[in-house]
Amino acid sequence: MDLQIALLLGQDGIVNGAIYALLALALVLVFAVTRIIFIPQGEFVAFGALTLASFQVGRVPGTLWLLVGLGVLVAVVEIGIATRNGTLRRLVSALTWNVAYPAVAAIIILLGEPGTWPLVVQVAAALALVVPLGPMVYRLVYQPLQSASVLVLLIVSVAVHLALVGLGLLFFGAEGSRTTPFSDARLDVGGVVVTGQALWVVGASAVLIVVLYVFFERSLWGKALRATAINRTGARLMGISTTQAGKLSFALAAAIGAASGILIAPITTVYYDTGFMIGLKGFVGAIVGGLASYPVAAGGAVLVGLLESYSSFWASAFKEVIVFTVIIPVLVWRSLTTRHVEEEE
Amino acid sequence: MKLKPVAAGLIAAFAVSFAYADINVGVTVSATGPAASLGIPEKNTFALMPTTIAGQKINYIILDDASDTTSAVKNIRKFVTEDKVDVVVGSTITPNSLAMIDVAAEAETPMISMAASSRIVDTSNPKVKWVFKTPQNDVQMSSAIVESMLANKVQTVGFIGFADAYGEGWYNEFSKIAEARNLKIVASERYNRGDTSVTGQVLKIMAARPDAVLVAGAGTPAALPQKTLKERGYSGLYYQTHGVANKDFIRVCGADCEGTLLPAGPVLVAAQLPDSNPIKKVAMDYTNKYEATYGKGTTSTFGAHAADAVNLLAHAIPVALKTAKPGTKEFRAALRDAIEGLKDVTNAHGIVNMSPTDHLGFDQRSRVMVKIESGAWKLQ
Amino acid sequence: MSARSRVIVLVIALALGPLILPEFHITLLNYIGLYALVTLGLVLLTGVGGLTSFGQAAFVGVGAYTTAYLTTAEGLPGFVAWVGVSPWLTLPAAVLLTVVVAAMLGLITLRLSGHYLPLGTIAWGMSLYFLFGNLSFLGGHTGLTGIPSLNLFGMDLKDGRHFYYLIWVLVLGALWLSQNLLDSREGRAIRALKGGTVMAEAMGVDTARSKMVVFLVAAGYAALSGWLYAHLQRFVNPTPFGLHIGIEYLFMAVVGGAGNVWGALVGAGLITVLKQWLQDLLPRIFGASGNFEIIFFGLLMIFVLHRARDGLWPVVRRLFPAQAAAAGVVAAAPLPIREKPVAGTVLLDVRDAVKKFGGLTANNQMSLSVKAGEILALIGPNGAGKSTLFNLVTGVEPLTSGEVHFLGGRVDGKASREIARLGMSRTFQHVRLLATMSVLENVAIGAHLRGRQGVFAAAFHLERAEEERLLAEAARQVELVGLTEHLMDPVGSLALGQQRTVEIARALAADPSLLLLDEPAAGLRYLEKAALADLLRKLRDNGLGILLVEHDMDFVMGLADSVVVMEFGEKIAEGLPEEVQGNPDVIEAYLGGVD
Repeated sequence: MDLQIALLLGQDGIVNGAIYALLALALVLVFAVTRIIFIPQGEFVAFGALTLASFQVGRVPGTLWLLVGLGVLVAVVEIGIATRNGTLRRLVSALTWNVAYPAVAAIIILLGEPGTWPLVVQVAAALALVVPLGPMVYRLVYQPLQSASVLVLLIVSVAVHLALVGLGLLFFGAEGSRTTPFSDARLDVGGVVVTGQALWVVGASAVLIVVLYVFFERSLWGKALRATAINRTGARLMGISTTQAGKLSFALAAAIGAASGILIAPITTVYYDTGFMIGLKGFVGAIVGGLASYPVAAGGAVLVGLLESYSSFWASAFKEVIVFTVIIPVLVWRSLTTRHVEEEE
Repeated sequence: MKLKPVAAGLIAAFAVSFAYADINVGVTVSATGPAASLGIPEKNTFALMPTTIAGQKINYIILDDASDTTSAVKNIRKFVTEDKVDVVVGSTITPNSLAMIDVAAEAETPMISMAASSRIVDTSNPKVKWVFKTPQNDVQMSSAIVESMLANKVQTVGFIGFADAYGEGWYNEFSKIAEARNLKIVASERYNRGDTSVTGQVLKIMAARPDAVLVAGAGTPAALPQKTLKERGYSGLYYQTHGVANKDFIRVCGADCEGTLLPAGPVLVAAQLPDSNPIKKVAMDYTNKYEATYGKGTTSTFGAHAADAVNLLAHAIPVALKTAKPGTKEFRAALRDAIEGLKDVTNAHGIVNMSPTDHLGFDQRSRVMVKIESGAWKLQ
Repeated sequence: MSARSRVIVLVIALALGPLILPEFHITLLNYIGLYALVTLGLVLLTGVGGLTSFGQAAFVGVGAYTTAYLTTAEGLPGFVAWVGVSPWLTLPAAVLLTVVVAAMLGLITLRLSGHYLPLGTIAWGMSLYFLFGNLSFLGGHTGLTGIPSLNLFGMDLKDGRHFYYLIWVLVLGALWLSQNLLDSREGRAIRALKGGTVMAEAMGVDTARSKMVVFLVAAGYAALSGWLYAHLQRFVNPTPFGLHIGIEYLFMAVVGGAGNVWGALVGAGLITVLKQWLQDLLPRIFGASGNFEIIFFGLLMIFVLHRARDGLWPVVRRLFPAQAAAAGVVAAAPLPIREKPVAGTVLLDVRDAVKKFGGLTANNQMSLSVKAGEILALIGPNGAGKSTLFNLVTGVEPLTSGEVHFLGGRVDGKASREIARLGMSRTFQHVRLLATMSVLENVAIGAHLRGRQGVFAAAFHLERAEEERLLAEAARQVELVGLTEHLMDPVGSLALGQQRTVEIARALAADPSLLLLDEPAAGLRYLEKAALADLLRKLRDNGLGILLVEHDMDFVMGLADSVVVMEFGEKIAEGLPEEVQGNPDVIEAYLGGVD
C-alpha cells in the first residue's frame, strides 16, 4: 500500500464516516430525548434518496402516499382524542400539519412536473415529503408507549423498521437508484483526486453538525430538548412537554436521515433496504460515543468509516468480520472508562 | 392457556383450502430480501403464464421465501403436504434450491429450480433424480467469458463479486476455467450488495493492474464496482455476469457501463437474433407478453427462467397425463420421467435436451455474449 | 384448573397432535419448537436476567454447523472423526463447542455495561455470521448439503411426525429445567440481576457468575436448536444465522412475554403462525402483485405491543386465570446460624475514610465504629455524604484513602459480596426490590449465601431440601417484620413503607452480625415506625450491631445508643443522643438551612 492508496482510502473512510456521523448524531439525539433506539433511522436515508431519484425520473414517489396516509391516520387519532376530551381547539394545528400539508404537497407534486424542477427544488421537495414522516411515526407509534421500557421501545422500533422496509420495497422496487451529483468537479489534491460530491458530503455533514450544535446551544427548542434529555421529569415540571420534545427529535432525525440519503445518492447506489446497514454503522459510532456525547459519537462514526475502508482494501471478504470484531475491544474500553451509573428502574 | 392462541391461529391459517383435481404448481421465489431483484420478475412472470395446459387447469401457488433457506424449505414442505402439488418451481437462489432438494426427493415431487449453480443438478446425488433447473450453469456462462477474454488477448483478470452464494459460485467456476486456460486471476475481492463504497476493493484491483475486470454481482448493485473503477480511471476491459441483465442496471450504471461485455441468455437480445434461430420466436413472445403487462423495457432474463420452467411443464404434462391423473404419486413420477425425457424443447434461454445425467439440458445455444452500447444490449 | 393440570393438558395435546393434525401443521409446530428453544434462552437472558442479546442466531449457527461439518466432512483426523459417526455424538459436541464459544465471548462482552452489551452481541453476531460464509470448509455462502437424518432406536426420523416428538420432548424438557432453575436459589440470583448488580452483590450474589450462567444456558439452548435444525433441514448455510434472525428471536421473546418461560412458546408460536397466515391471506386480498406480508407483520406487531407491552403471555394468563398455587412454605429445619460476636465487640471500625469524586470530596476523614449490641445512628442534612459512607463500608465504591475494618479484618478493597459473606448486610435508600417477585422470594435473595447448591442441582430440582430451608428462613424473617399476610404478594403491590420493611427482612435473611439501614423509617406511618423501632431494639438485644442512617430525629433519638452527625462529608459531632441534640453545631447544621 503506497501513500496515495492510503490517502484515497482515508478519503473514502471519511466520506462514509461523515454519513455515519450524521446518523450517529440523530440516533444519540433520539435516544437521549426519548430512550428509543431508533432502528428505522436508516429507512429515512433510503426514503430521502429514493424520493429524490423518483422526482428525477419524473415519477411520483410512494412516500407521498405514505405522507398522506399517515397524516390521515394521525388526524383520525387526534380527532378521536379531541372529541373524547372536548379539546377541539388544539385540533386545528394537528389538522393543518397532518391533512392540509400533505394535501397541498400532493397537489403540487401531482400537478407540477417534478422531473423538470431544478435540483435545489427537487431536494427541498424530497425533504418536505420525508421529514414530516418522522413526527407522524412518533405520534402514531411511540407516543402511546412513552413510559414503556427501553427493550419494548427497541422491539417496537424493529417492527417499524420491518414495516417501513416493506413499504420501501413496494414504493421503489428492489433495484437501486442514483441521483444527479450536486457537483461534477474533480479536484487534484496532491495527486489524489477528490470528487466534488465527496466534498459536498463532508462539507454538508460538517455544516449540519455545526447547525445542530448551534441549535442545541442557542435556541430555545434546542435547550428544551437538552433539558429533556438530561432529566425527563424535571423538564416536564418546567413545562417542556415530553411529547413535543419527542416529535421534534423525530423530525430532526428524519431530516438528518433524509439529508444523508440525498447526500450519498449521487456517489453510491441506494436501495430500499440500504438504510439498515448504514444505520447500524451509525449506531456503532453512536454507542462508541456512549449514546450521550455528540462529538465522541461523530468521532466513533468516522472511526467506523475508516476501519471499513482500510479493511475492504486488505481483506474485503472479511471486511464486516474485521469491523465488528475490532469494535468489541473498543466497546470494552469505552465500557470500562465510562462511569456507569445504574439506572433506577 | 398458551396453546389456545397457537391453535386458534393454526386453524385460521389453514381454514382456507384449495380445490384439487387440477394440476397444482407450487412456486417459491425470493421476492423480498437480498435476492428480490431476481425474484420479483419471476413472480411477475407467473401472472402471465397459461392457466390451462393440455386441457388441465393449472393453479400456481406462489409463496415468497424472503431469500431465506428456512422459509424456502418451509414453503416446499407446505406445497408437498398441504397443497399436494404435482410439481415445485423454485427457488430463485442457489442455497434455497439446494436446501429444497431433500424435501422434493422425499416427497417424490419433481422440482424445477431457477437458480444458477450446477450443484443443484449434480446428478451424482441420487436425490437430484427429482430436480431440474432452467438457468444456465455458472460454468457455461464462465466459459463464455473466458472465451471472450482470450479472444480479446486478456492475460490477467481482476475479480470482484458479491460476498454471497452468487459471487462465490461465480468465483469457483470462473477461477477453475480461467486456470485451465492460463488466464491469471491477479485480484479477487468481495463486497456486499448494500455496500455504499467499494473504493478499497477497487484500489486493490487496480494495484494488481489486470487486463480485464469481472464483476460478479446481480442487478443494480453490480454497477457500483464498475462506476468506482471508472472514477478511478481504470481503462481495461469490463466484464459483467448475466445477473445484471435488466434495464435497471443500465439506468443506474449509465455511461460508465458503455462497452461492458457480458454473457447472457438469448432472451436478452431476442430481437437481434437471426430469424432462423428457433429461440427468437419463443423469446420474443415472452418479452412482448411481459412488456405488455409491466411496461416497455421491463423484461429481465430472470423472469424468463420462470417462463422456461412453465414451458418445460407445458411439454411434459401432456406426456405425463397419458399414464396418470394429476394429484397422484404416479402422476408426479410420470411428470418427472416426462421432464427427464424432454428433447428439443425451445425455451427463451435455449434449446433443452434433458437426460438422466443432464437435468439442465442446455448447450452452447443457451448463451450469447452481449455488449452494452448506447445504453442498450448489443448481441456480439 | 390448576397450573399443573394445564401443563398436563398441554403435554397430552402435544402428544396427540401428530395423530390428528395435518402434516403441514406438524411442520409448523416443528419450527415453532426450534424457535421456542432459542427464545426460551432469550427469555432467561433478556427477560429474566436483563441482558439483551441480538446474537443468539449465531449460537444456533455454531450448533448447526458443528454437527453439519462433523457428520459430512470426509478425511477428518481420527481423534475427531469418531464424533461424526452419529448425530447423537455430535449433539454433545455441538452444545459443548457452542458453550465454549459463548464462554469466550461472554468473558469479553458480559463485562460490558448498559448499551454496550447489546451492541457487543450485535458485533460478534455479525462476525460469526460472516465467518460462516467465508470459511470454505463450512460450504461458504452456498452451504453444506447431505447432512444425515437422525436415527432413534433404529427408526429413521425423516418423517416430520417422528421428528416432532424429539423436538417437543426437548422443548418441554428445556421448559421444565428453566422453570426449575428460576425457582431456586441460583434462579433468584439470576433474577436479581435485573434489580441492578449493586443490590445483587450486596446480597452476596456473584453477578458476573450469574450472568455467565444464564448466558451459557441460553447459548446451550440455541445450540440444541441448531443441532435439531441441521438434521431437520439437512442443509445449512449462513442466512438462518444472521443478525435479522437474531433480532427476530428477540422479537419472539418480547412479543410472547419475556418475563416468563411460557412467553417463549407463545412468542415463537404466534410469530411463526402469523407469518404463515399473512402469507396465505394477503395475496387473496391484494392479489399477487405486492409484498405486503412484511408490512402487515410490522404493523400487527406494533399493535400488539401497544396493547400488551409486557408481551402476550400475561394477557393469556389474565384471560384464563389459574388457581393460585397453594401458597405454602413447608416447615423445614432452620438453617445453621452464624456465631455472633459477644455484645460490645467492635464490629465495624471506619478510620479516616476519604472519598473524592473528581474535585468533590464526598467524605473527608470520617471515622466511626459500631459495636455488637449497639445502634449507631448516622445523621446529617441531605447531601452530607451519609449514603456515600454506606457505599464505602459495603464495598460498592473504593475509598480514596483511609481504612475500613470489619470484625477485626480490613475490608476496604474487598468486593461487596465478600463483605456480605463476612456478615454485613444492608438496605437501600431507594428501594431495590424485584417488583414482580413475591415478598418471600425477594427476602430469600437475602439468604443467598446460606445455600450451597448449584445450577445443575437446581435445574433438576435436586436441591429441594435446602430450598425448603431457605424459604422457611425467608418466611421467618417476613414474619419477624410483620408482613406475613403479604408473603406471596408481588412486592410491587406493597406500599413504599412496607417495601422498606421487606428490605430489612431481606437483609436479616443473610443472618448478619452487622445491619446497615439506609433511612428505614422513611414513608412509614406512626404505628409502623413504633413497630420498626421495637424490632430494631429486639435485634440489638440479641447482639446485632446496627448502623442507621436516618432523617427522622424523633425516631433516632428514641432508639439510638449513640449518634454521629455529618455535614459536608465530615463528622461534626458524636455522642449520646442527648449530647448531640444540644450541640450548637448540630443545631446550626440542621436548622441553619431552614430559616
